[in-house]
Amino acid sequence: MKSQLYLTALFFLIHLGAFSQTIISGKVLDEKNLPLPGVNIYIKGSYDGATSDADGSFEFETEEEGSHTLIYQLMGFKSQEFTITCDSNPIAFKDVSLREMITEMNAVTISAGAMQASDASKAVVLKPLDIVTTPSAMGDIIGAFQTLPGTSTVGNDGRLFVRGGDASEVGIYIDGLRVGNAYGSTAGNFPTRTRFNPNLFKGTFFSTGGYSAEYGQALSSALALNSKDISPRSQGDLSLLSLGGGYSHTLSSDKQSITVTGNIFDLGPYQNLIKQNIDWERGPHSWDLEMASQKKMADGSLLKVMARTESAGMKLWQKQPGQEGRGVYIDLNNRYTFAQTNWKKAYENGWTLFTGIAYSDNKDDIFYDSVNLQKNSKLIHAKFTGIKDFSDRISANSGIEYFQSDYSEGIVEANLERDYTDHQFYGFTEWDFYLSKKLVFRTGLRGGNSSLNQETWLDPRASFAYQVSENAQVSLAGGTFSQVAAENFRVLNPELKNVQSKHLILNYLYGAKGRTLRAEAFYKSYDNLVTFDGSPMAPENPINEGIGFAKGIDLFYRESRLIKNTDFWVTYSFVDSKRQFDQYSTKVQPAFAPKHNFSIVAKHGFETLQSQLGMSFSMNDGYAYTDPNQDGEMNAKTRSFQSLSLSWSYLPKPNLIIHFAVSNVLGRENVFGYQYAQTPNASGVYESLPSGQAAPRFLLLGVFLTLSKDKTANNLNNL
Amino acid sequence: MKKYFLIFALSFCWINLVKASDPAFEKAMTKQIQAMETIQTLEESQKVSNSFLRISEAQPEEWLPLYYAGLLQIESAFRFDVNQDQALEQALEYIEKAKNIAPGNSELTALEGYAVMGKISVDPANRGQSMTPEAMQLFGKAIALDKENPRAVLLMAQMELGMAQFFGSGPEKACGMARMGSDLLRKEKEKITESYILPTWGQRMASQFEKVCQQN
Repeated sequence: MKSQLYLTALFFLIHLGAFSQTIISGKVLDEKNLPLPGVNIYIKGSYDGATSDADGSFEFETEEEGSHTLIYQLMGFKSQEFTITCDSNPIAFKDVSLREMITEMNAVTISAGAMQASDASKAVVLKPLDIVTTPSAMGDIIGAFQTLPGTSTVGNDGRLFVRGGDASEVGIYIDGLRVGNAYGSTAGNFPTRTRFNPNLFKGTFFSTGGYSAEYGQALSSALALNSKDISPRSQGDLSLLSLGGGYSHTLSSDKQSITVTGNIFDLGPYQNLIKQNIDWERGPHSWDLEMASQKKMADGSLLKVMARTESAGMKLWQKQPGQEGRGVYIDLNNRYTFAQTNWKKAYENGWTLFTGIAYSDNKDDIFYDSVNLQKNSKLIHAKFTGIKDFSDRISANSGIEYFQSDYSEGIVEANLERDYTDHQFYGFTEWDFYLSKKLVFRTGLRGGNSSLNQETWLDPRASFAYQVSENAQVSLAGGTFSQVAAENFRVLNPELKNVQSKHLILNYLYGAKGRTLRAEAFYKSYDNLVTFDGSPMAPENPINEGIGFAKGIDLFYRESRLIKNTDFWVTYSFVDSKRQFDQYSTKVQPAFAPKHNFSIVAKHGFETLQSQLGMSFSMNDGYAYTDPNQDGEMNAKTRSFQSLSLSWSYLPKPNLIIHFAVSNVLGRENVFGYQYAQTPNASGVYESLPSGQAAPRFLLLGVFLTLSKDKTANNLNNL
Repeated sequence: MKKYFLIFALSFCWINLVKASDPAFEKAMTKQIQAMETIQTLEESQKVSNSFLRISEAQPEEWLPLYYAGLLQIESAFRFDVNQDQALEQALEYIEKAKNIAPGNSELTALEGYAVMGKISVDPANRGQSMTPEAMQLFGKAIALDKENPRAVLLMAQMELGMAQFFGSGPEKACGMARMGSDLLRKEKEKITESYILPTWGQRMASQFEKVCQQN
C-alpha cells in the first residue's frame, strides 16, 4: 500500500514537472563579436535546444529541472559548455563567443616552393590525372612535372632538373622513404624515365626549395609520392602499347587489397619502323614485376608493402666526332629491385606514428667498346616519425632516420674494383605554430652524421605563411640543405665533405575556383660543390672547392573556367645560375640550366566524341656548352629548344581508353649540346657532333582495358 | 523482499520496453522529419539538422538522427550556396558515426554512396575516374544488404544515367533500374504509418526519372 502511494506520488511529480518550463535565451558571437548564426545550443541529454538566428540570438523552453549542462556547438568551432539551473524562472544567458577551430580545411598552408598534386579540395597546382594526360609526359611522372615552374627540360637526359641544380639534387621519396636510382639506366643521349608507374600513387608533393626538415639528402628539390590506399574493387587492367604491354590484377576486400603487375617493353620493332637518330644495335627493352599491397589492421592502423624488380638493356653505336665508322659500341644491362614497407597509425590522443623501411638495389653492367664496367649501388632507409597535435594551433613532427649506402664500381678485365659503405644517422624536429588561421610559422632543425666522411651537420629551416585575402596568400621560406657528394666522386675520395645550399624563397599564391596564379622569387647559394680534374667520364681527384648560386622568378597560371571544357596552364621560369663545379675552373652557366623556360599545357574535352585533346608546348632559350675552338668555358649556346606535343584520348566505354600521343609534332631538330673531339684535326679544328633527340618525333599508341566482375550488375539481375 | 525483487524486475522490463519503442524519441523524430519536408532556406535546413543532432546526442544508441543530419548536409550541398566539399565531408562524418552504431545498414551504405556521388559532382573531370567505382560499390553493397531499398536502386540508376550521358550511350539500363526503384517505393509506401520514421524519400528522384525515360 505504502509503495503504491509512493508510485502515485511519483507519477504526479513527473506530470507536475511537465508543466514547469524554463525559458532559456541568449546570444552567440564569433571572435570578432559579430553574431554567429547556426549554432546548436542545447541541454545535454535532452532534446531541448535551439539554433541561433541571423542575429546570433536564440530562445527555447525546457521541461528539465535542476542542474544541467548547456552546450554551444557549431561545426568548425570549439564547443563550449556551461552549467545552468532550471527552476521555471527564465534564464537570459550571457553572450557567448565561440572560437573557430584551425583545421586543414580553413587554415593557411605554407606554399613557398611547394606544389601539390592531389584530389583534395584545396587549390592544388596539379591533379593526379594531369600526370597521365599531359601529352609531353608520355605517362612519366617526371614528364608532367617538367611543365611546372622551377624546372627545366633537358631532352637528352629525361631527369628532373630544378632551379640550376643537377638531377642528383632532387630527392625522390615514396611514402616518405627514399628511393635509390629512381630513374632507369641509360646511355648515349637516350632520355630516361622514372621507374614507377603513376597509377601507384594517389598524390604527389613536389617542392622546388625551402622544404620541410623531414627531407634530407636533397639540395634542390624533394619529390614525395604517396602510394594509394586500399583499392575499392577487384579488377584486371590490360594495357597494350605500341612499345609493349602489361597486365595488372587487383584483389580487394574491405580490409585489404593487393595488386600484382607485370610489363614487357621493347622499343626495337618501333625503332625499326620509324627512322631513328641513334644507331641502335638492339633497342631498349625491359620487363618488370611489381606488387603493392595495403592492409587495414584491426587496431585501425594501415600497413603497406610495395616491391618491384626489373631488368632492362640496350645496345647501340655512339658515333665519335672526328672519327669515321659507327663509333663506340655500348651494351648496357640493368637490374633493379626496390622494396619497402611502412605502417601508420593515428591515435585518439593526437599522436600519429609512422615507421617504415625501404631497400633499393641497382646493378649496371656496361660494355663500353670492349671494357666491361660494373656498378652496384644499394640503399637502405629506415625511418620512424611521430607527429603530435598539441592543440589546433601547435603541432610537431619529429623523427629519426638511418641510411646505409653501399657503392662499388669496377672494370672486370683489369680486375679493378673500388667501393665504400656509408652509415648515416639523422634526427629532425619541426614545429608548426598557428597564430591564427591566417598566420602560421614553421621552424625545423635537421641533424645528420655520416660515418664515411666523419662529418656531423645541422640544417636549420624556417618558413611562414600569411593569408592576405580570402583567396591570396604570401609565404616565405628559407634554410640550409646538405647532401653527400655523388657516389662516383665519393668512391674516389671518401673524405669529400657535404655539398651545401642555402635557400630563400618568397611566394605569392592566388587560388580561386578554377583559377590559380602563383609567383615566386628565389635565391639559392651553393658551397662545397665537387670539382675534379679530367673529364666527366673519368673524373680524377675530386675536391670540395666549387661554389655557385642560382636566382630567378617563376610564374604559373592555371585556368579551367575561362573556356568551356578547357583546362590550361602556362609556366614561365627565369633562372640565372652560375657555378664552379665538375671540370670547370670558373663559374659558368650549367648546361642543364637554360635561362628562360616557358611551357603551356592545354586540354580540351569533346563530350560528343567522348574524347580529350591534349596539347603541350615547351621552349627555352638554349643550352650552354663549351666550344673548344674558342676561348673560355661554356662560351656558346645552342639554338632555342622548342617542342609541341599532342595527344588524343578516346573513351568509347567506361572501361576502355585509347590513347595516342606524338611528341615534337613539328619535327624541330632540337640540340641539347655538342660533343667535341678530344684532339683537333689536321687543320687545327676540334670537330663536333650535336647531342640531339633520339628521333625527330616519338609516337605512342596505347589501349587500356579494365576488366572487373560487375558485381553491381549481378546484384541488379537478382532483383 | 520478494516484492522488492518483483518491482526491481518489473522496472527492468519497463526500461527495456522504453528502449524498444520510445514514444518521446519517435515523436521528436516525426516532428523533425515533417519539418524536413518544408525546408526552403539554408537556415531552416541548419535548424532541422541541429535538432537531429540534439536527438542523437540524447539518444546515442540511435542511428536514424545521424542519418537524417547527414542527408540534410548532402541536400544542402546540392541546394544551397555552401562550401560543398565541407558539407559533404561533414555528412560522411555523421554517416561514419552512424555506421558504428548500426553496422551493415543498407540505408546508411546508400547514403554514403550519395555523399560520394556529391563529391564527384563537385569536380567530375578529376574525381569521376577514381570515385565512380567507390560510389557504385557502395550502392551495390546497399542493394545486397536490402534488396527492397528503393533509394539504393534509384541512386545507382542516377549514377548509371550520368555514365550513359558521358559515354553517349542510351539511358535504357538506367531507366530499367529507375523503374525497379519506383516499384520499390510504391511497395514501401504501403508500410508507412503515422509513426514511421525510417527513410522514405526518393519520390522526387523517381519522378525526374519518369520524365527522362519517357522522352526515350
